[in-house]
Amino acid sequence: MKARKQTKVSRRMLFTWFMLTGLILLFAPHDFTGKFQLAFVHIFRWPLSIGGNVALTARTPPSVEGAKQRSEAQYRNYVENLKQTLDEQTRKLEKLSGLYNTFVWEGADFALADVIIKTIDGSRNEMTINCRKTDGLMKGQYVLGDESVIGTISEVFPQIAKADVKLVTDSTSWIPVEVAGIKTIMTGSGNNAAKIVALKKEVKVEEKVFALKNLKEGGFLDAPIIVGKVVRCERNTQMASVWDLTVAPVCDIKSLEDVAVIIINPPK
Amino acid sequence: MRWFRFAALILTVTILQKGVLARWDNKPDLLLIALVFSATYLNTSDAIISSFIIGFAADLVGSPIPMGPHMISFGVFGTLLAYLNRVIAIRRLPYQALAIFVMGILAGVLTHVLAGESLSRSMFAVVLVTSLYSGFVGPFLVAPSAWWIGIRTGRLRRR
Repeated sequence: MKARKQTKVSRRMLFTWFMLTGLILLFAPHDFTGKFQLAFVHIFRWPLSIGGNVALTARTPPSVEGAKQRSEAQYRNYVENLKQTLDEQTRKLEKLSGLYNTFVWEGADFALADVIIKTIDGSRNEMTINCRKTDGLMKGQYVLGDESVIGTISEVFPQIAKADVKLVTDSTSWIPVEVAGIKTIMTGSGNNAAKIVALKKEVKVEEKVFALKNLKEGGFLDAPIIVGKVVRCERNTQMASVWDLTVAPVCDIKSLEDVAVIIINPPK
Repeated sequence: MRWFRFAALILTVTILQKGVLARWDNKPDLLLIALVFSATYLNTSDAIISSFIIGFAADLVGSPIPMGPHMISFGVFGTLLAYLNRVIAIRRLPYQALAIFVMGILAGVLTHVLAGESLSRSMFAVVLVTSLYSGFVGPFLVAPSAWWIGIRTGRLRRR
């Protein structure tokens, strides 16, 4: 019988090797080591997204039953709340009619939704929305915020009328865009920013970036819609002939309260 | 040591930490619990290796903190705890909870210092709350982890 050869490494050596590895990671350029973090999120994006629907929200509409039995003060408050609800619905209706009146959206439908949870933290940039209408809602559809594209639907939960939105700044997001007449791909880079790498020409700061239709992924757009603006343009570190752009969203996503999802060929 | 099972455990814990638990502001650090578990139940050499591996996993999901600080802090304090465990065996649940709490504070502070962050009151509060939650939850996760890796938690061994 062949004897098993076993290599003995002292504990001191083990500790030294691992400490060296840790120090190398610590002092290596963060751009490089950050790729490990991004790769992990990218590889395990499916199991990581499972937790998305765990967050609990309690949003119960005011009940009409039993209102008569309440005291006068309570009843007045109830009426005031109803008025506020009516105002809110009127505001949303006006917003919707404004969207429908734009000629490029003929044939498309919109699902207005309230923003429930926003996670704009590091590489993870996403939000959960509460849609009253989930008919026709599908993964990949573009989501508008303040008349600009802010992300795409990443998951739909029709049973609880909710959906997850992957923001354009999420590290796993990518959408086709046009900047300075060049069609390219924009990927999220986390921390409320996105990037366009290896662009063949230099672009001015403040140049507008427009989202294009992405029918393969379900993202319908009849005309380009603004998504962000260039905040930095610098030469690629590996190829000096191309440029890397940093793009910031034109919409203040952190203060956004409601969004609209673009639905093509809505169910009748 | 069943390394494949250990790797599966750490991977699951890492995904849970970055996925489900990331939704809450105050949460236990499952990787910290795994660190104390490995330092107290594995032999010293395995504990050193696993401490650094757990630190590396914590770095992977530690964004926006860059890579490195968790690996060093978890590695250093995991190794120290493994050596301490040779002298004082930490087996009872309250002592394990205390060990997790203390390790959480020490490793948390060193991680933030190595990451170049200033020692602010809010940073201490986050470290303290995370350590407290981990201390409460940790001892209850020891038995399932030990069962998965195939360690008998009742047996007292000093290596």
